[in-house]
Amino acid sequence: MAIITLPYRYLERLAGTDRQTIIDRIPMFGADIERIEEDHVDVEFFPNRPDLYSPEGVARAMRGFLGLEEGLPAYTVRPSGITFSVDPGLADIRPFLGSAVIRNVNLDEEAIESLMALQEALHWAVGRGRGKVAIGVHDLDTVKPPFRYIASSRNRSFVPLDFEREMTMEEILTDHPKGRDYARLVEDFPKFPLIVDADDRVLSFPPIINGELTRVTAATKNILLDCTGTDRRAVMTAVNIICTALAEAGATVETVTVDGEEMPTLAPAERVVSVAECSRLLGLSLTPQEMAGLLRRMRFDAEPDGDSRVRILVPCYRSDILHDWDIFEDVAIAYGIENFDAALPATSTVAQEHPISAIAGAVRSVMTGLGYLEAIPFTLTNERVLYANMQREPAPGTLRLLHPISEEQTVVRTDLLPLLMEMLLANKHRELPQRLFAVGDVVEDCVTYPKVAAVSIHPAADFSEAYAAADVLCRELSLAYMVSESADPAFLDGRRGDIVVDGKIVGVFGEIHPAVLGAFDLEHPVAALALDLRAVPGYPALPGTP
Amino acid sequence: MELTLNEKRLLVVLGTMGSADAAVLAEKMDTRREAVVQYANLAGDRGLVDVEKHVARRYVPTEEGRAYMGKGLPERQVLESFEESIPMRDLQGHPLAKIAIGWMRKKGWIAITGGVVTKTGKTAPGPDEAAFARLAESGEIADGEIADGEGVADLAKRGLVEEEETVAYTVSITARGRELLSQGLDLREEAGTLTREQILSGEWKSLPLRRYDVTKLPKRAYPGKTHPYQRIIDEMRRILFDMGFEEMSGGIVQSSFWNFDALFQPQDHPAREMQDTFFLGERRPLPKGYERVRDMHEHGGETSSTGWGGTWSAEKAEQCVLRTHTTGLSIQHLTQHPNPPVKAFCIGRVYRREAIDPTHLAEFEQLEGIVMDEDVNLRHLLGFLKEFYAKMGFEKVRFRPGYFPYTEPSVEPEVYVDGLGWVELGGSGIFRQEVTEPLGIEHPVLAWGLGISRVAMLRLGLRDLRHLYRSDIEWIRETPVYGGRR
Repeated sequence: MAIITLPYRYLERLAGTDRQTIIDRIPMFGADIERIEEDHVDVEFFPNRPDLYSPEGVARAMRGFLGLEEGLPAYTVRPSGITFSVDPGLADIRPFLGSAVIRNVNLDEEAIESLMALQEALHWAVGRGRGKVAIGVHDLDTVKPPFRYIASSRNRSFVPLDFEREMTMEEILTDHPKGRDYARLVEDFPKFPLIVDADDRVLSFPPIINGELTRVTAATKNILLDCTGTDRRAVMTAVNIICTALAEAGATVETVTVDGEEMPTLAPAERVVSVAECSRLLGLSLTPQEMAGLLRRMRFDAEPDGDSRVRILVPCYRSDILHDWDIFEDVAIAYGIENFDAALPATSTVAQEHPISAIAGAVRSVMTGLGYLEAIPFTLTNERVLYANMQREPAPGTLRLLHPISEEQTVVRTDLLPLLMEMLLANKHRELPQRLFAVGDVVEDCVTYPKVAAVSIHPAADFSEAYAAADVLCRELSLAYMVSESADPAFLDGRRGDIVVDGKIVGVFGEIHPAVLGAFDLEHPVAALALDLRAVPGYPALPGTP
Repeated sequence: MELTLNEKRLLVVLGTMGSADAAVLAEKMDTRREAVVQYANLAGDRGLVDVEKHVARRYVPTEEGRAYMGKGLPERQVLESFEESIPMRDLQGHPLAKIAIGWMRKKGWIAITGGVVTKTGKTAPGPDEAAFARLAESGEIADGEIADGEGVADLAKRGLVEEEETVAYTVSITARGRELLSQGLDLREEAGTLTREQILSGEWKSLPLRRYDVTKLPKRAYPGKTHPYQRIIDEMRRILFDMGFEEMSGGIVQSSFWNFDALFQPQDHPAREMQDTFFLGERRPLPKGYERVRDMHEHGGETSSTGWGGTWSAEKAEQCVLRTHTTGLSIQHLTQHPNPPVKAFCIGRVYRREAIDPTHLAEFEQLEGIVMDEDVNLRHLLGFLKEFYAKMGFEKVRFRPGYFPYTEPSVEPEVYVDGLGWVELGGSGIFRQEVTEPLGIEHPVLAWGLGISRVAMLRLGLRDLRHLYRSDIEWIRETPVYGGRR
């Protein structure tokens, strides 16, 4: 979750409006207000809009949304003359580098905090925890260009941020808190990424930690930005968002030449979109002029292009615009989601219950008619409940979770009966007799199918009660069945029957074995039944297998 | 005024006796005294008799007291066991010596000097002995029977007598009772359960039927019932059937392809990490035509999309998960039913790798609805949501922009709940073209999802989500089948 802190005074100055207007309208722009405090508001923005992860970005968007300023924000970029080289040895480690110089920054404590918060939010949303992109900001005036991004030997040493002594990069991975957090991103590589200046002094060990040398302080006037990563597009998104945010705050952006490529351009991308397609998707009838007007409020440049199209310039920081429909959503937001007239289409359709639900419904009606209460157990359980307590062998198709979260939930249930036994234990202090049933999905070998199970506990629960219930259930489900002696170890020998349909065992009933009662800590006899509902006539062919 | 048979019988007896003790009446009526008091109270409420209650106290001997009965108090017995004097050592041989010596000294009957006990001569019986003699004579002493209760009180203090309280009732017929009696009473037996013969013969017409007390609570019966949560699920299903939706059902285990890739979730999306999703060791082959999904991820296929870039891994897509939503089912349903209109829904268990606490579960139910048709649009999405929530009892609904990875535009519906304010209740949107295009779905698809356990908690007034799956029998028994609309 990216929760952004917006200090009112700074935001009001940047946005050119009062805090109440912003707080009132921000939810309709696409955000959730988390907390309203004395001097700031905390807002959660969606993960597709990292350009809103700074007060500057929010102010820029709100000026448009509130109609105070429209169209594409203009950013001028001058060349800095600084060059950066990328070591080809990084191709399989961390190949991409984006960079920029930002001059005349005005960093008080609050601004530094805000910049660090933007950096962290981008690490999360764009950088996928620094793997895809990691960002470094440096005091440019402490180092000397040209800069080099190299694949370094792992025992090169420098003084990392927040430390006073030199450490080797390997040491950093074990002894520096940031090193420990992110070691997994680099530890398998024979060489480590490193950024050095003309005098071979270390700026940064991406994606782990910067050097203490280039620490940004309130005295910092000029910034060198480095963004390294494994995805070029994501790297440039981070560069564009940081540069434009600082430019909004009054700084000027200059390019850096990375292996001959001058960046960033902060140039918009052009798209030509269909007005009719937009109108059709949103259920509006827009003219090209109206649509262009709405888009300008979302900070696009937009002009009608003939009668049916709008030509759009997408700001460089809008990494969420993948498709024309992303633009149409912005049209809807500018139009105001609250201004849409809800309507139902005229097409008529016919409802249809799923056959499995119909069978489950019939089971519920029979079992409740017999006086049973329905239980809804979890589908995740463990092998002790499912098998050991039941004296049963594990089903060969049992699915085991690769990374269970507790010992109680390690497998997907293959049967419902053990879960009902567990529920009888949980209800031990409740009045007897207790009769419970459950109908629901079990999974074996990745195949999901429904079962029913029922239990009855009281001093007189016996085989004939179980048999009568099983017989009623089968008859009411139009199941032509036969009974043969069962070998199910969960039941008492001589008091257990298999439900056999077409020569196949599809269910079991009888008196639960006293050792099983003991395993579930129960003190009275239990009459029980279980049935595979695939045997019921009308059960549909195998539903959507993965 | 319908008298019970017993009241009538009481009146008849009192008709001759006028007034009598309940115990006497019980003997006459061949029943217990308590029963007579009960009949008398009923008749008393109607003003037919007066019931007078007398409380009497009396003293009766305790077990120890009874042991001395007829022999005298221990000190008297021991005093009389010797002449003028006796060596203490000899006196101690008497079985009652332990109790008696103390009392004899206390009462001044004896003096002890040099190990010899000598009578003082002042050994006349006190009030306690008088009372004890009286007790021996009649077996009890009524309260106030002895002028100064002093002697009795001494005996009580010594634990030789105890107080007993007896309650007596005197029942007398009133003038109204006599009047009623003089009019004649029907004294035939009253019938309880009607028999088959009485019904068939018509005898019931003249039968005096016993009247029952309808204000007494009945024996509590518990019917078989569906689970309260299931009833809410069924209510939602019915609403969707009413709105013309077809029900879908499908597997709990899905390949990552259907759970994520087909929904244009990038392969490096945080939801696809093992911290958030239950992965299984099993793999499933990719469906025919998966390449179109791959192309969409890598470069946007043949749409206006740029895709996510990077390289799409087939191996990652084959890995099975416990479904994190039922949207994978929706999309498979659409590939199998490509012709509009399609209106379908699914209510099913979904899984998130979350530690269990009062507001988080690793598995819970989700409702999902999809509408695919030519020219359905955002206004229709809002229309379906409004209608659905209204039928669920949420009259006030509002919409805000939202974000979901596989829809564009995306809308967050909120409903107004008294006491809670606006509550976010699910998500919705129109499937991205990146989702529909590779699967050959040519028309817009409206989609919405809803965590229905949240609705169930609001409806059932629960604070702990786990309660829904704990199946506490008491709770299921006591939760009414029809709760009305809250």
